[in-house]
Amino acid sequence: MAEVAARDEDLHRQLLAIVVEEGMIKDRELEAATRLDELGIESADFVMILMAIEEKFGVYIPVDENLTEAKTVGELLDVVTRHIDEHRRQVAS
Amino acid sequence: MIPVAITGYGAVTACGIGADALWSAARDGRTAVHDVVFPRIHQQQVKQAARISDADLQILLPDAKPRFQDRTAIIGVAAAREAITQAGLGPDDFGERCAVVVGSGLGGAETIETGYIRYLETPAQRGDVMAIPKLMANSTASWIAMDVGATGPTLCISTACSSATQSIGLAADLIRAGVVDRCLAGGSEALLVDVAFAAWELLHVMTTTRCRPFSRERNGMVLGEGAGVVVLESMEAAKARGAEVLAELVGYATNADASDLLRPDLAGVTTCIRKAVESSGLEPSRIGYVNAHGTGTVANDLTETNALRAVFGDAFDGLAISATKPIHGHALGAGGALEFIITVEALRAQIAPPTINWLGLDPKLGFEPVPNVARPFTADAAMSNSFAFGGINAALVVALPGRG
Repeated sequence: MAEVAARDEDLHRQLLAIVVEEGMIKDRELEAATRLDELGIESADFVMILMAIEEKFGVYIPVDENLTEAKTVGELLDVVTRHIDEHRRQVAS
Repeated sequence: MIPVAITGYGAVTACGIGADALWSAARDGRTAVHDVVFPRIHQQQVKQAARISDADLQILLPDAKPRFQDRTAIIGVAAAREAITQAGLGPDDFGERCAVVVGSGLGGAETIETGYIRYLETPAQRGDVMAIPKLMANSTASWIAMDVGATGPTLCISTACSSATQSIGLAADLIRAGVVDRCLAGGSEALLVDVAFAAWELLHVMTTTRCRPFSRERNGMVLGEGAGVVVLESMEAAKARGAEVLAELVGYATNADASDLLRPDLAGVTTCIRKAVESSGLEPSRIGYVNAHGTGTVANDLTETNALRAVFGDAFDGLAISATKPIHGHALGAGGALEFIITVEALRAQIAPPTINWLGLDPKLGFEPVPNVARPFTADAAMSNSFAFGGINAALVVALPGRG
């Protein structure tokens, strides 16, 4: 379990870095509870974030209901993590 | 608004050559979306689109000028010829009293792509000397004007997914303003080429599964291509030459969200639909069918549903609403023309085509579009919507002859 938690934490950190960089968010600490609308992330920034994740993890993330519903950084990362896990399962099989 | 006569239309789509091929596919729920492979795309993620078959293109080539025409112009001219034949227009019906308003989102995408690739791979070789006149967005409009000898205003509206709907609306405005007696209006789009498709992938709005508008579990759109051209005439001009009026264009509105480049805006979309209905002078309950923009993205379908519900109020539950994009694909700058043709055919047949791939109710939308199988409706009028990136909205209302 500790391994999984460590992996998740590492993935989480990588994803967070992508949100900060692609969302052009400077000078603030992002937390799971931080609301996306407070960050002023426009639709174009959102696409940049998805694209960067795709490049890094090889997963295509269509804008589905779960993604649209994500209101906080934590929720966004949860959705993305599920896609990455699903993708890794498919690649493994 | 003063009704404008619709006397003919033509289309070339992945469903086949001709407006009949488009309408019968839409009515029967027969999809033209198939697997496509773009060999130059590194790790192609989206693997389907509605593409015009090579066999159909071969049929059009003998009557085209491929050295001078991009795919958009070839299919656009073919669609215009069909529309003109159906309308029964002769050589004397064009000239300066005839306009051409034919839009395109991207223009000659295939010419752009092959030109770049050829130049980058073999810069020493002579390129396509006709590349510029082939790729310019107004190429299709100009070829149609030249084909028939229409010397009135020739315009090309390039407003992404609203191009063709605005073209048809502006054509009606030109006729009502007395600038011309008739107009060939619509759109043409053919961008199913590697680099353009890769660029669409980047936007993450396309589904990797199935395009299922207004359905639960929807997750994106599917691209298509095609051309659609409609003959619009003043009622007087149509009557003077004894033309059969297929339907009347009775309402049109267009506006801008002026908010976000990609995300639809409920206030803007609602205002557009409301103004289109108001301009028709019809009670909303007289409109029985809506061919929705219905892209199958989460955001569009939610916004469009809420807008329709706000405008139609009590009449909303009686509406037959469907999205036909899972059948012919999202043809972008031509989409509005294809869907307008389907809307007119649906109204004339009193049959609402189905929204295929529909899995079940999305509680957030709270309504069923005409799901999976066509169904009859009874009404005098119908509506077709288009909402474009850039926040540009447009909606058209058509009525059966004399019922507007």
